[in-house]
Amino acid sequence: MIQTRDPEPIGRVVATELKPATPHQFHFWTANETTIGIGAIVRVEEPGPGKREGGRVVYGVVTDGFAYSDLATPLHDVVSAEGDPARAAESPSVRQEIRLWTAAVLRQQPEEPLQPVPLGAVYVASDADVAQALRMDAYVSGAQPSGIPVGLYTAAGLEAPVYLDADFLLGPEAAHLNISGVSGLATKTSAVEFLLASIFEHFPAHKGRVAALCFNVKGPDLCFLDRPGTLDDADRRRYERLGIVPQPFQRVRYYAPFKADGVNLNTLRTHPDLVGDVEPLVWGLSEVLDFAEVLLNRDDIDAKADAFIDFLSDRVLNKEFDDGFGGGHRVQTFADLDGLFRAIFDGLELSGRSDMWRTHHIATIRKVRNRLSNISTRCKGLVTDDGPSSDLPWGGFEDRTVYVVDVANVDPLGQDLVFARVVSKLREHLERRDLGVEAVVVFVDELNKYAPGDGPETYVRKMLLDISERGRYLGLVLFAAEQFRSQVHRRVVGNAGTTLFGRMDADELATPGYHVLSPAVKIKLATLPIGELMVRHPHFTQPIFVRFPRPAVLRGRDGVERFPPAADLSFEDAVVRQLARLDRRIRPNQVKDLIAERRPDDVRRALAAVRRTRPDDALAYFRRMLGARVAPATAPAREAVPPLNPISEEPY
Amino acid sequence: MPSSWVDAILAAGAVPASYVPDASAGRTDLEGFTGADGVEDDELRTYCVADARPLAPGAVAFLDGIEQWRVVGYGGVTPIVRGYVAAAVRRRGPDRRLRTAGEVSRELAITRLDALAEPLRRALAESGVAVVELAEEDAGQPTRAIQAARRELERARLAEERGLAERCLAELGPDEWLVVDGVLSDSAALSAHRRAIGVIKSHGAQYFEGAELERALTLPAGHRTSVFQPRSRGARRAIYSWYLRLWPWEGNDLLYGLLRVEAHADAATVARASALSAWLMRERSPLSTPDARWDRLLYPIHDVETYLRSRAPRDVLSHPASRLPRTGS
Ligand SMILES: Nc1ncnc2c1ncn2[C@@H]1O[C@H](COP(=O)(O)OP(=O)(O)OP(=O)(O)O)[C@@H](O)[C@H]1O
Ligand SMILES: [Mg+2]
Repeated sequence: MIQTRDPEPIGRVVATELKPATPHQFHFWTANETTIGIGAIVRVEEPGPGKREGGRVVYGVVTDGFAYSDLATPLHDVVSAEGDPARAAESPSVRQEIRLWTAAVLRQQPEEPLQPVPLGAVYVASDADVAQALRMDAYVSGAQPSGIPVGLYTAAGLEAPVYLDADFLLGPEAAHLNISGVSGLATKTSAVEFLLASIFEHFPAHKGRVAALCFNVKGPDLCFLDRPGTLDDADRRRYERLGIVPQPFQRVRYYAPFKADGVNLNTLRTHPDLVGDVEPLVWGLSEVLDFAEVLLNRDDIDAKADAFIDFLSDRVLNKEFDDGFGGGHRVQTFADLDGLFRAIFDGLELSGRSDMWRTHHIATIRKVRNRLSNISTRCKGLVTDDGPSSDLPWGGFEDRTVYVVDVANVDPLGQDLVFARVVSKLREHLERRDLGVEAVVVFVDELNKYAPGDGPETYVRKMLLDISERGRYLGLVLFAAEQFRSQVHRRVVGNAGTTLFGRMDADELATPGYHVLSPAVKIKLATLPIGELMVRHPHFTQPIFVRFPRPAVLRGRDGVERFPPAADLSFEDAVVRQLARLDRRIRPNQVKDLIAERRPDDVRRALAAVRRTRPDDALAYFRRMLGARVAPATAPAREAVPPLNPISEEPY
Repeated sequence: MPSSWVDAILAAGAVPASYVPDASAGRTDLEGFTGADGVEDDELRTYCVADARPLAPGAVAFLDGIEQWRVVGYGGVTPIVRGYVAAAVRRRGPDRRLRTAGEVSRELAITRLDALAEPLRRALAESGVAVVELAEEDAGQPTRAIQAARRELERARLAEERGLAERCLAELGPDEWLVVDGVLSDSAALSAHRRAIGVIKSHGAQYFEGAELERALTLPAGHRTSVFQPRSRGARRAIYSWYLRLWPWEGNDLLYGLLRVEAHADAATVARASALSAWLMRERSPLSTPDARWDRLLYPIHDVETYLRSRAPRDVLSHPASRLPRTGS
């Protein structure tokens, strides 16, 4: 029987005693001119009694290549060219050469009994072969498909979509994604942006709602996710092949703390056309106290300080409290708390009795006071010294929405605080199933900063480890990126079910973590073109190379050019802008008249109150709040007890 | 130590040599002295070919053959030999790569049928294998029989080579040459063709004596002799021939790097003997190592041989290991 449509084999499996075929690896040769290359997927068919009747089919991915001729020793080339390299090219005959390839087995059919790869003909993989080889048939089709396109496998003229399994990318079977590679060439941030779009479009209906929370830690990186970027035809074709609409994110919410002035937003998305949808991120004492551990164990671990902080949260915060020296306190703000501290120090000094106050040593109290004052100084725009907070919509997260928390310009201490609190809140709500969505992807760029492999144990690292170990059951999924994977905590990267690699640094590839990769795959990684990634995923027995289109969003760099950040507004104008956002009827002069001669702290406090309450008549409410507390007991006597261990040069 | 007398003859003008003789395969040249007639010169001379412009054919076909054999059984003391002969033409075009342009192969049984018992004979006949008969006088002694079988096998190979060469000649393009491993003179078609050359690397036959012989065998590297015409013997056709030295023999042996070239017997051959020689000099590269005869084995011929060996049935090759007692399977 003649099957004319059969594809031609492009190679042949060969095995020798020294290079045998095994159940996991085989060698094959091809013509010298071939489309095969490192990363290509091939199909081997067992030679059977009739054509195509062998039965056993093996899929493999090329991991190494060899070329050699029948030259017995290099010396013989020298001899025949009489020592002249130019003459070597003049030989009338070209030596016999071989292209010999090593491939790692991706899949065998049937899977049992597991046997060495048959010495059969080798074919380039077709679309269907790629799906088989990567075991995607199990989850891309069927009653409840859960495939998430990650890119196109491109080799030998083929462009086959490669899918990740949502159950293994976003839980519950496995979860988390890690991407590494050198700056600027590895397309780490871009890949995550693309993949989020892919997830939003392909997240299986039966898994419910999904949102993403991205920490913007680098300049304008994630500030324009709602704006279209430039794509070329190749990108658009790839989007089409992957079944993704090339468009920016439809729903993005931006959050950024204020700058130290408390009224200008600390973000690069301050162009007048865009700044309107950036929500301030402002926390008060109670939000900070819950995560005070973050502040302490950055430098040291101190059980006594922990105990004192617990005491403050449990017994003091928002309660009527007697300081033991005859003073009553109701601590709601940093200012209130400082009042309590001063009362304690004064009381102890006056009584001269001891260094202990309610089982807490004065040194511990000083230390905690220092750290708290430190954060309110260093993260002035994030932590209000006084007054209410403005936070993410806990409980009101929406489906297919990206929440960008911009902490790019925030002090590292403040970044830790933001990470710790946001992630903990996500976890808390996901555990209670009242976040508003069933799954959240948390994107952390520069993971090596937040979960370094060495250095002291920090709260943030513990927390990232915790998500990576337990998040998959909760729908709390960590997508993290870093330049050097070897510098990240082993278990944080180890728990990522899916790993992507962009262009890699050669030194990094020389570290032990990359031992399993063949030298050829390493070279490929070290020279990987922009837009190509190597993917490891639980269903794929071997790493696979894919190409993905540019994300359909405006690049941060282009965004700041197209929407240059506005210069900081004056205090009055910034207040006007804030109020006008809440109530369009408000006229600048009305506000300016109101706040003239007012203390900035009072203005900020009143503004925060309006933001929190969202009254119908914002101006009237603002006026009332301004009048409410004219002379708070803040600044005056603070120098009475200077911090023992001033970390910041700034005056308290 | 004999170094004293070696030193003595070297000091007296002998060129140093170091060579372990090896039985050469390929198309064996005739044994013994036959004599030759000068064509280019009356007395054999040497010519340097370094300045000659090498002939550069657009394409060249290279022909070689192999034979493999094995005693597979005995009928009484009469050996039954399984022989395999094959020949191939590999063509080299402008891309300088060799590709197979034609090949033939044949399997045969060599024995003396009437020395075998009837069942053996019948089995051979029924199997359909081509049987080559040994002469009666050769069949009696096994050692002799085996030598005779070897000759029969060679004859069979030469026949295959000749047939293939003649077919190849018919298809040869106008700017295309055929290079044959061995003599041309046993084929009328080959001897008559103007673009066929034979390259002989075993020197069983001697055409010269005395000073001429010395000139031929001490030819410096990159030199050829005058064109001569071997005296024909038996069915041999008229042919022109000359010696060519590919590599310096000094330090090795007289025959090291020495080729004898055969070409069509006409004036044109004389006119281009140097150009042909210069071309063959170029064929020294690439080296045909690891073959032990690399000093005179042209790489493309080596390539044809490698090709043929890789295609030969595995089981006619005798591995040393196969002399171990056989196991069950
Ligand atoms: N799929 C793609 N095809 C072609 N170019 C791309 C693709 N994805 C991203 N790029 C380009 O590659 C460049 C680097 O991308 P990106 O900023 O994502 O890299 P990065 O690895 O995050 O770098 P860094 O470590 O500096 O943050 C960008 O200029 C981007 O436009
Ligand atoms: Mg980046």
